[in-house]
This record gives sequence, structure tokens and C-alpha cells, in this order.
Amino acid sequence: MDPYEKRKEVRRKLRKLEGLPTLPPIVQRLNTMVEDERVSIGQIAELIEKDQVITSKILRLANSAFYGFPRRVSTVQNALMLLGINVIKILITTSSIFEILHKEDVGLWEHSVGVAACAKILAEKVELKEPQEIATAGLLHDLGRVIEKVAFLQEYNQIIEFIKKEKKDPLKAEEEVLGINHAEIGAFLMRQWNLPERLIEAVEAHHDLSKAKEFKKEAAVIHLADVLIHARGYGESLYKKVPPLDEKAFKILKLDFSFIKELFFKLEPKLYELKFFTEELKKETEGM
Amino acid sequence: MQRLPLAYIIPGMKTYEEVVDANGRTLCGKGVELTEEHLKRFQEFGVQFITVEGLKVRLPWEKTLEEELEGLEKRFEGISDPVLLNIKEVLKEFLLEKYKET
Repeated sequence: MDPYEKRKEVRRKLRKLEGLPTLPPIVQRLNTMVEDERVSIGQIAELIEKDQVITSKILRLANSAFYGFPRRVSTVQNALMLLGINVIKILITTSSIFEILHKEDVGLWEHSVGVAACAKILAEKVELKEPQEIATAGLLHDLGRVIEKVAFLQEYNQIIEFIKKEKKDPLKAEEEVLGINHAEIGAFLMRQWNLPERLIEAVEAHHDLSKAKEFKKEAAVIHLADVLIHARGYGESLYKKVPPLDEKAFKILKLDFSFIKELFFKLEPKLYELKFFTEELKKETEGM
Repeated sequence: MQRLPLAYIIPGMKTYEEVVDANGRTLCGKGVELTEEHLKRFQEFGVQFITVEGLKVRLPWEKTLEEELEGLEKRFEGISDPVLLNIKEVLKEFLLEKYKET
């Protein structure tokens, strides 16, 4: 099929959320509550706490090293105050996707949590507000790849083959097969789910900074974090080599290259914690 | 350097960075040889991870310096962008430093 037609088909399927895990029923109620100014954090926490599975997932993510809070986050109210309602909403919306991710593709899961941790360090260094939101964008940046695997498996396998046999660039392979790349798929779906534009742009532009309009710094952080995690060799993605770096990221962030070494030293302890976290998840999945 | 869960830490290991409790308070400086008392205190204050010097515990997923350097070469194979090559150099320096005491 011609890539343009294919692109239309993919978007149609995504719009209908065909083949995707259903969103937890709590999401809709949460959305209505968040929009209502009279609703307090306590009331939102109460709603979430009614769902024990979601509650334990949120607390676990809130306590993992990519957010890096020194204090133990032990209640939903606590998590809401530290992470903010935006992040909590995203974690709930994407909880089933992330479950698939760490069960089916540990390499990509590790890559994603690594990028989240790295993005948080960068966001703090350049003083972006709500660094935990940027970490969450890092967690989601390859969401499109998970979607390809879940909802377009046949095409996904073809993409892998193109990369392996014909040594094609992963982005080009996606565009040829699906008419759309994973950054666009992720952003498209995030829009469908009404997630904040700041995170959507960061995901959408993480391989092409010119796509960022309002949130250039956020996009530059995710782009740089993605390249640095590939360079460090933590986790796995379709890139077996370090992906291309847009040097403009340094300029956009007013970041001096000399920070990179310091960053690797700051990042390494986090990567250890994340590895222990992933191993724990793996053991639980295997035990199920 | 290794960052390990508290349960993996034994007396005699040396801290690579400060040990900080859940409230951000420093419990122990860097370069300190840990004792039984330290470990008891860390437990009381809810410390979960500690970064120690060297690679004292054999973790199944951890690579040796040789494996790390080899992986680094592979990931940068065919890359000519000078900024990326600078990142590679920085990583090499970082790895040599990380594995220095082993």
C-alpha cells in the first residue's frame, strides 16, 4: 500500500483505538473530576484509592528511581502532591500499556525508564518547571513503538526485517511500512487521550526538534536524553547504534557540553536502582 | 562504583557518595568505611540504596569493563558526527573512572 494511504488507515485505527487495551474505567471519571474546580486533591485521591490495582501501580511508579524522590511515597494523596494531577492521570491512562511493555519487551521498558531518569536530571539542570512531567514524557517517548507491536504486529515485524536485512534507518523503515513513525503515533494517541500538550510535543518532536512549537526545551530534553541513554547502552530499542543527535538541543537548552560527564555520574546510580526495579518486576511476572 | 540495596551492604564497604535519608538529611559522608552501627542507623532511617566504591557484589546483569568498552565501540561504529564522538570520549572517561578501584 502506498505510505499515504497506509498512514490514513493507521490513523483511522488509532482513532477507534482498535486492538488497543481498553482504558481503565476510572479514567473518564478522573477526567471529569480534574476539570471541576470544586474537586479537591483529597477527593481525587479517594476515587483512585477505590481501585487497589491502580493504586499499587501508581505508588510503585511514584517510588521508582526515575522520579527520584528521596522520601517514600506511601499514599495516593502524597503521590498527587509530589507528581501533580497531570502525571497521575497519565500513569493511570497508560498503566495497561506499560504492563504490556515490561512483560513483552523488557529492553524497551528499560530504555524508557532510563530516558525518564536522564530527562529528569536534564530538566532539573536547565530549570524547567515540573521536572517530573518531563520524566513522564521520557517514560512515554517510545509509546508509539509499543502501539506498533500491540496493534500493528505484522507491520512491526516487517519494520524489524527492513532494519535487520536492509540496514534501513528505523524511522525511515516505519515511515515506509506504516506511513507514520512511532513519535507521531505516540503523540496521536496521547492527543486522543487528552494528555497535556507539553508532553505530547516532547514525544512528537523527540526525533525532529523542528516539530516542537511551544515546547522546544521539553522536546530538546527528551531528544538529548534518548541519545544519551542509547550512548550509555541502557536497555534496548530498534536503534542498535546511537541515533543521530541534533546539536541544536544544546543551544535550545543553553546547556554546556561539559555537563555531560557530570550527568553520566549522576545518572549511573539511578540506572542501578532502575535495574533492581525491573528485575523485581520480572520476578513477579514470572511468578504469575 | 555500585549502587546497592541496603540488604547487600556489609561492613567494610566504602561509601562512594553521601548517604542521605528520606528527609534529605546526610547520614554519612563519602569515602567512609561502613560499620555495623552505620548499617543499623541506615535501616532505622529508611535508607534503601547506598552507593559504594568498587564493584564488590557480583550482579548477574553487570558487565565487566572490557564488555562495557566493547559495547561502547559497537554502539558508535560508523558514527562520524563530532559531537557524538565527544560523547563517546566522555563515556569512556566515565567508565574508566567507574571501574577504577576494581
